[in-house]
Amino acid sequence: MFLYQIKTALKSLRRNPILTALLIGGIALGICIATTFVTLRHMYMRDALSQKKDQVFYVRLDSWGQDSSLDQFPGGIPNQITYPDARGLMSSPVPVRQTPTYMTKMFVHPDPGVAEPYQAEVRMVFADFFPMFDVPFQYGGGWPDAADERVEPVVVIDYATNLKLFGGENSVGRSLRLRDRDFQVAGVLAPWRPGLRIFDLTRDPTGAPEPIYIPFNHGEAMTLWAAGNNSGWKRQTINSFEDNIQSERIWLQYWVEIPDAESRGAYNDWLRGYIDDQRALGRFERPTRFAVTTIPALIEEFGLVPNGVKAMSLVSLLFLAVCSLNLVGILLGKFLSRIPEVSVRRALGASKAQIFWQHVIECELIGLIGGAAGIILSIGVLSVLGRFMDNGDALGLDGEMLLVAAVLSLLAGLTAGIYPAWRVCRVAPAMQLKIQ
Amino acid sequence: MAMHIGPIVRAMNHSRTRVILIVLEIAVTLAIVTNCVNVILAERAKMMQPSGFDDANIVRIDVLPYGEGFAEPGVIGALIDSDLRAIATIPGVRAVANALFEPWDPRGSSSTFHRVDGVGGGLAMQEYYGTQDLIDTLGARIIEGRPFQEGDHSSGTTLVSPSVAIISKGLADVMFPDGDAIGKALRRGDPGEIEEDPLTIVGVIEHFHRPFVFDEDGSLARLALFVPARIGGAWGMPYLVRAEPGRLDEVIPAVAAALKENRAERAIDVRRVGDTKGRWFAGSRIVVATMSFIIVALVGLSALGLIGLTALSVSERTRQIGTRRALGATRSDILRHFLIENAIVTAAGLALGIIATYALNIFLVNNVTAVKIAPELIAAGIGILLLNAVLATVPPALRASKISPAVATRSV
Repeated sequence: MFLYQIKTALKSLRRNPILTALLIGGIALGICIATTFVTLRHMYMRDALSQKKDQVFYVRLDSWGQDSSLDQFPGGIPNQITYPDARGLMSSPVPVRQTPTYMTKMFVHPDPGVAEPYQAEVRMVFADFFPMFDVPFQYGGGWPDAADERVEPVVVIDYATNLKLFGGENSVGRSLRLRDRDFQVAGVLAPWRPGLRIFDLTRDPTGAPEPIYIPFNHGEAMTLWAAGNNSGWKRQTINSFEDNIQSERIWLQYWVEIPDAESRGAYNDWLRGYIDDQRALGRFERPTRFAVTTIPALIEEFGLVPNGVKAMSLVSLLFLAVCSLNLVGILLGKFLSRIPEVSVRRALGASKAQIFWQHVIECELIGLIGGAAGIILSIGVLSVLGRFMDNGDALGLDGEMLLVAAVLSLLAGLTAGIYPAWRVCRVAPAMQLKIQ
Repeated sequence: MAMHIGPIVRAMNHSRTRVILIVLEIAVTLAIVTNCVNVILAERAKMMQPSGFDDANIVRIDVLPYGEGFAEPGVIGALIDSDLRAIATIPGVRAVANALFEPWDPRGSSSTFHRVDGVGGGLAMQEYYGTQDLIDTLGARIIEGRPFQEGDHSSGTTLVSPSVAIISKGLADVMFPDGDAIGKALRRGDPGEIEEDPLTIVGVIEHFHRPFVFDEDGSLARLALFVPARIGGAWGMPYLVRAEPGRLDEVIPAVAAALKENRAERAIDVRRVGDTKGRWFAGSRIVVATMSFIIVALVGLSALGLIGLTALSVSERTRQIGTRRALGATRSDILRHFLIENAIVTAAGLALGIIATYALNIFLVNNVTAVKIAPELIAAGIGILLLNAVLATVPPALRASKISPAVATRSV
């Protein structure tokens, strides 16, 4: 029966190609715009952590001075932590993975003949960083935990850096000079471009991840200053790196991975204990306050989805609604002109329900064909949009968005067709036969 | 004419669904179109905001040393002096400054200053350093006082700690509402906080606009303080270069070559201010382009929908129209009937649309900080949609008026 209804629907669509094209075009237009902007919004929310978005947390501590203002920070809590706290938090046994991290700048000295020396952004991390953020590797992988403890000169480089310096071949084990030290390549990233550089919220959040990663502990050994955001409340003179890492200035991000709710409670208890201990040492002047936040909550709290993007996704959905609303009239005309035929079918035994579903299926067919055309169009529009955006490389349809587009297409077909289908199925068989 | 309206409204009662559909369509269309125009106007206003600088002809060049010997005392200062001299002689270069400033760069920090004469408290502002020709390099216009001059900052081996400053008019208006900024002094920090030499204001520039990512309400965008200083270190030497109009493309490689020749072992990082500005407004451009497209598509679609629905109502009422024609109604009576009918329905839709427009606008203002909608904008939207409705009614109504009175005598 279903197949028969689809066949009938296709036949009906072929009967008036211009009208059909208009209907399909209307849906396609609506779906194209809606899919494009829902995808654009989705890009900001999607991250490498979709699998464990409630297992990875950003840790913030209220280490601020008693009378210093916290107004500058989202959520009213310092957005980064101090170096002493980064060291302190590392001693917690609760998280299965954890890393403090910050960005520094270092000179890369490639082989002469390959490229001139250039300055690059380098992210300082512990080995846990890579599995925690599901960082994809093309060759090799992160370094072993032992390399963190022994401060070994190991480095992970991204796809583009490997292409530039090693011609894109497997460079694991090769040597790379950073500033005045030779590092050994442990891993090469696969192309990796999350929509948001979530692990460092204090920089332009739509920027690309850093091209180079080295063990965090090199920071002290090589006196690598943070090149990102840095703030403080206490008047402290900072003349040396030593002053810097002992100060109350905040310039580090801290991430933990805690898979189960029970351990999360335990971690909160541990943090309370840690702050109490620090207070005994004369730090943490304010009442105990900390935040252990999931990535989706951070995106909300830091307002990382641009307002324009939010507005556009709303307007684009309204646009789709108007598109299908406008098709109601056209479908109504199309279906009602078929009343004589429908009344004959009714007289020959077709039930009201059959007639109704027959027409709903025809509308859904229009919705799906229009939706498919709209999706193809939106792939084009997205690639054009991507060129104008910093994080445009991260912009694209994924399975989730295809599903959303398909559901929107079906909804649009239903919105446009349900009333005309209902109208036409109410045709009384006898009267129409009489007139015929 | 008035006598027609009663029967027309009663006739509409027979096709309530059609009327409801049109009313809904028009209402939602008005809401979206006017709000889109509203957003477009707000975004365009943002993009049109002048920085006050010759954006298209300025380039920021960072020179980053990596070799040995840059940390020795005096080396960087001497290098900055010789770099500036080398760049200034390049054909096509209009002005050059050593400056820690990049127009339209969305990053930044702020400093607090207060008036030494005790009027008012501390005020947060943007603070930038640069050498003698900074103001000319930016293409900014001095409206009061003077630009920086020789002796304002260190040069050669003579070390000078800054004692003067140039401020933006935006800052002058806030801190010196009496218009007497020149000659007044500012000191860093809140009153009594820091013992540092004050800066005497020697000049005011006309425009300054540089928004930050973290300056959502825009309160910092126009407040700027420029301090004369050579700025650089082993971390780098930043330069701003202003080219003669249209000559930036030839100037950039020449400057890079001159810098390399002046001292080797330095990487050169080039960013055009025009590109930086373009990136800052990329989102706005996307919003404007898409919203414009949506407006055109919506007006077109609503015309199509209206044509379809009116055509349907004409074909449904073929016999009645024939009967009316047979009973003496003229063609123009029939045409007028449909025009008036659709005008009434459209008017109802627009009335509902005004409510929908404000509802959507309030939602946008609360959730995405859009600008409140102006009544004039809604009036314009109403005018356009009304015209659109009339034009969309004409083709099917004309067809209706051509229905022959003889139709009434047939049975189908």
